[in-house]
This record gives sequence, C-alpha cells and structure tokens, in this order.
Amino acid sequence: MNAARMGGLAGKILRVDLGRQKISTEDTWKVARNFLGGRAVNSYLLLEEMDPATKFSDPENMLIFGVGCLVGTLAPGACRVSVETKSAFSNGKGSANFGGHFGPELKYAGFDHVVITGRSKEPVYLWIHDGEAEIRDAASLWGRTTGETEAFLRRDLGDSRVQVASIGPAGERGVRGSIVFSNPGKAAGGSGVGFVMGSKRLKAIAVRGHGAVRVAAPERFMAAVNKALAMVQASPYAEGWRKGIIEGKFLPHSPAWDFFTSVRNGQDDHWPLEKRAKLAGLESGVPRYKKRMAACFGCPVGCLPYSEIGEGKYKGTKGVGYWINSATYSTKLDLDEPEASLRFHLMLNELGLDGDMCSTSLAWAFECFEKGLLSKKDCDGLELLWGDGEAILAMEKKLAFREGIGDFLADGVKESARKLGKGSDSFAIHMKGQDSADPCRAAKGWGFGVSISPVGGRHLRGAVSAPEVTGPRGLPWSPTGYENIPEAVFWQSQTKEIEDMAGLCIFVGTWSGVHALEVSDYADLISSALGIEWTEEELMRIGLRAVNLEKAFNTLHAGFDRKDDYPPRRYMEEPIQTGPQAGARCDRERWDEMLDRFYQLNGWDRETGWQTEKGLKNLGLEEVAEKLKKAGRLK
Amino acid sequence: MELLMDSKVCNACRICELACSFHHQGVFAPHESSVKVSADFKEGKIQLSIDDTCDLCPREPQPLCVQYCLPGALKKEEAYERR
Repeated sequence: MNAARMGGLAGKILRVDLGRQKISTEDTWKVARNFLGGRAVNSYLLLEEMDPATKFSDPENMLIFGVGCLVGTLAPGACRVSVETKSAFSNGKGSANFGGHFGPELKYAGFDHVVITGRSKEPVYLWIHDGEAEIRDAASLWGRTTGETEAFLRRDLGDSRVQVASIGPAGERGVRGSIVFSNPGKAAGGSGVGFVMGSKRLKAIAVRGHGAVRVAAPERFMAAVNKALAMVQASPYAEGWRKGIIEGKFLPHSPAWDFFTSVRNGQDDHWPLEKRAKLAGLESGVPRYKKRMAACFGCPVGCLPYSEIGEGKYKGTKGVGYWINSATYSTKLDLDEPEASLRFHLMLNELGLDGDMCSTSLAWAFECFEKGLLSKKDCDGLELLWGDGEAILAMEKKLAFREGIGDFLADGVKESARKLGKGSDSFAIHMKGQDSADPCRAAKGWGFGVSISPVGGRHLRGAVSAPEVTGPRGLPWSPTGYENIPEAVFWQSQTKEIEDMAGLCIFVGTWSGVHALEVSDYADLISSALGIEWTEEELMRIGLRAVNLEKAFNTLHAGFDRKDDYPPRRYMEEPIQTGPQAGARCDRERWDEMLDRFYQLNGWDRETGWQTEKGLKNLGLEEVAEKLKKAGRLK
Repeated sequence: MELLMDSKVCNACRICELACSFHHQGVFAPHESSVKVSADFKEGKIQLSIDDTCDLCPREPQPLCVQYCLPGALKKEEAYERR
C-alpha cells in the first residue's frame, strides 16, 4: 500500500538543503509504515541519517518538522507538530512540539514532514504552498520579532490564512534556549530548536495549502470523532480549561501550587498565598487582563487566553498565552507583579526565547547576585533583586539579544556556572545539559518523569502529576509517594509518543488537562483514518519502539547513560523549606530503586542504563541494536 | 433561515471549516468550506465569513458547522449579527 491510497497522511516528505539551495520530495509511507508519523518518523530519520560526530551548530545538523498522521482531520486537538534536531544543549536528542494552525496547513499543502539541512549564506525563509516550496530572501525579515514576521509575511504573500513558524531575535543571535514560534501563542520550546533554525539562517517557514486530508473509512472515522468529542464534553475538567489554565486550575488557593512551583531558583517550592493572590487572583491578577479565548486548530477545548494590558507602564502588552509554566517562571524569580509577569511571558514569544531556559538562567543569575558572586557591574548596572519586574524584563531582553550579561548567560546555565565557577554549579538547575524549570521534590512522578526525559529536564515525556489525570487508569500511586511511579511514567512515556505520532494534543488525551481520550480511542481514530488496523496493544508497542529510537540517539550522540537520569543536585540535597510539602526532596536511594525498575520495564541494562540486544530485538529494532553494538554501547 | 454568527464568541478552532468541507466533499479541506475563519491572534481579532455555497445542510437537523461549534458562535437563530 502506498501513501496515495491511504488516508490521514498528506503523502510527501519535503527535503530542503539550504546550503545547496536544493529542494526534493519523497514518499512519506516508506517510513510511516513503521512509525506512523510525527515525532517517531522524525526520530527515525534523525537516527538513520545523522553522523554522531556532527555538532549541533554544524550545517549538517538536521532540523525536521513532522506533522502527526491525524492532523488536519476532525480528530479532537489533532494539530501538533514535532520538531527534532540535535540538541543545542547536549548534542543528544533535540525535540520539541507545538500546536496552533501551522501543522494542518502543511498537510493541506501536501507535506507530512519538512527535513532541513545545510546553512544558507544569507537569511532566508521557506515558502511552502500547494505541493511546492521556494527558498526566498529574508533580508527584510531578519531582526523582526515573531509577531512582526507573521504580519509581514501575510501582508507580503497577500493571504491572511498563511500560517507561519518563525524564530525571533534570540534564534538569530544564537541564544541556545531559542524557540520556533507559531500562533496562537505556541512554542516549540526545548532543545534549542530555534537556535538550530537560526544557525541555518532560516528565519521562518510560511505555509498555505488548498488541498484536503482524506480518511480511509469516513463513516467509522466520524463515529470515532463523535465519540471522542462526547468524551471531551463529558470531562469534568473541560469547563475549567475553557477559561484558561490559570483560572481553570491554578487560582491562588489551589493545592497545585505546592507541587508545580519552584521558588527563587529552587531555594524553596512554596510561595505564600498573598503572592499567589496578587499574581493569579481573578480580580487583581493576570486573569483580569484576559479579553477572549483562542484555540488551536480542531480543538474542542480552546484553552488559550488572549490578554491585553490597556494602561500603566506595560500598556500595549498583548497576545495569546499564559499557562501554569508562566506562573512557574514568575515564582522562580519571586515576581508577583501580574503585569510584569504577563509581559515577561508574551515577550518570550515575541523575542523567540524559551521560558524554561530564560527563567532558569535568570534565576541562577539572581541567586548569584544575592550571594555576591555577580556584582552590579557584572550585570551592566542592573541590581538583580528577586521580584523586581523591571530588572527581570531588562534581563530577558539582554538574554534575547545577547547583550552584556545576556551574552554571558546565553549558552545555558550549565555553561554559565562552568564559566563563573565559585561553587555556582551547586545551584545551576539543568538536566542532560538543558536548563530545567520543573520542580521535582514534592510530586515524585513529576520529578521522575522530568529526570528520565530523553530531552532533559522537561515534563512532557512521561511526567505524571496525579493518578486521576495522568498515568494508566487503575494503577494505584500517590503524587508524593514513590510506589508504582516507574510503571506510571513508563506508560505515559509511550502514550506521549503515540500522541506525537498522531499529532494529538495531550490535553485532550491521556495526560493532564481535560484527560478524556484513551489509547483505545486513538486506535479507532488512527485505524479508520489510515485504513490499517491498529490495536491498543500495537500502538503501545510502537510507542515503545519510538522511545527506543530516542534513547539510542542519546546513547550514540551524547553518550548519556544512567548518571544522566537523576534530578539536579539541589533537589536531592536541599529539601523544600516551607509550606505543606516542607522537608520533601528527591531521595537518592529511592531514585535508584525507581531507575532500576524503569530500566527493567523498558528492557534496558540496570547498571549502565543502556539498551540491550534482547530488548531491541523484541521490538524489531535489530538495525538500532547493530548501530549500538558497533559503538560498543549495547548490553 | 440563514446562518448567523458571533465572532466575539468564536475562538478560531476552525472545527466548523472541517465539518463543512466534510459535508460538501467528504474530506477535510478548509478551502472547500462555506464558512471561513480568519484570525490575527497577535491582535486578538477573529473574523467569520460565509459564502454562497452554504446549503444549510438540508439533510441534517442543524447545519454541521452549528452542530460542531462548541463555543456557540454559529446559530440558525435571529439573536446574532447577520452575515
């Protein structure tokens, strides 16, 4: 069977060599037959085609956009795009994911994946439309923010329905924590994917398609869609999320604050109620600036607040976005001023900066200032005082433009601490080399999922928060305990791979959020769309295959092993200081037990964390085993 | 009867475009939809429009775009601004 006769897929992979200015296409199905679409296809291409000796900043580094196999259909929340590359923080697996309207438009233009290699001599953008692609001059775009870039391209191309994914000034200037941004307010945030795009001098991808996505069995597919939509509507969480994540889940009295905030660079994980009320209260906090809600393509929830500040010193601040993460960025910097916090978040998007990296690097610098390790002179005359909105916003801009102290911080907190020395590495919060904004000490399933994440210190690759909204249903575990956490994280790491193959938003799926659809629903949607039967068990197996592609890349390209699957030192050595979770930390012995069990579940070697020949053969990944064997990194 | 729409309530999920194109063509193709949503998210502006190809889905109890519009921005009622 080929892609042209199947449903779901657009059918073509677009290859763009920016160095040679060459464009070609190939059939998606030759890879999708084993890995369905989205992330797993990206991961396969990266592992197959990249030389481990290639560095993240080399022109040979690949930057791959992959749209899930359900994207562009009525499957709820099917809009996601996975972005893979060699991580700018580690040379290991670089991976990020974004929603919005870009992915479906790429499918309507005829492409499932865009594989970008080489480096252009001059700034360019890629214009993809109805089966064709052109590399175009971007001299007049270079230097613009992401919002300006989208507006310019829509005006220049004469079509308000053109969708754009772009980098901001941070990506142009080689800040490692740079994002690829696309509206409404969505960022492919981790791994420095925006750094890699900037290193190729690719400012943006603009896309417009007038084609269609077909499904193989329309009646069955629509029955599956209607069932899925009814499940979303019936979710007790849907109404809250439709108000925006802060109003839906993170109002000041919510107990979630004591599990998902990190305060003053992780000196504590508890923030007093009066500060929460000032930042996130309905009447006085960030929610008061919400003007309307927005949605990603095909989403039956629509969890995205559009906000505007109409008065005061931050007048004119506007845009889509403010999530729990945004509140976390504020607590890390002890910032309770809602206007400055909202501006900080929306400027991340405009400047093309990753909020996790920016807040973590800034929080480390503020702690250095507090401890006397950085002076006012070192900080270009700024006093880095916790909670000072003006200083925080000034530092955000300096980081994005690599100005002064911003240049010092731009390679990430691990590198900053190495350069500064003076013991500052003891409070540099990173995993697998990447700055991490995630707290780990109170919620153990969250901390464990973050620490084993193949992309380093991020929470979307297996982290579980509470058993009612994450992990396999029926498995007993507690947010603060260690029991059954490896099992829950093992399951969630696979379901996330399936969601990224399909392009489904995890908020309507098996993870936190509305938490409506189950893997059996994915099987029904994917089978009827593609016209090939997939059972729940087969999907979980392909999810595990995809996990193993990423693991192998990290072993071969970054040399990661067991030692790289632990939380930052601070979270193991310093307990939470105050609040209801005071005393909690990541216990090293319990972590060792969890890792032993997690590796066993995955079929990996306990001592090294490496993959095993037996485990890979069981998954039909003999070629991967061969690569690892040749490198002497297979058990 | 005609289709009435409230762009203030619309969140630009574009599910209406998917439902409409499926009604017309049996495929998912926003370009083929009678209803179209344009969004400038940076400015918080969302616009809805409808063209002459809309047949109000005669075999359905309600037009599909109305059935599938979860925010309730599309109606076959008089209370909304006319197209």
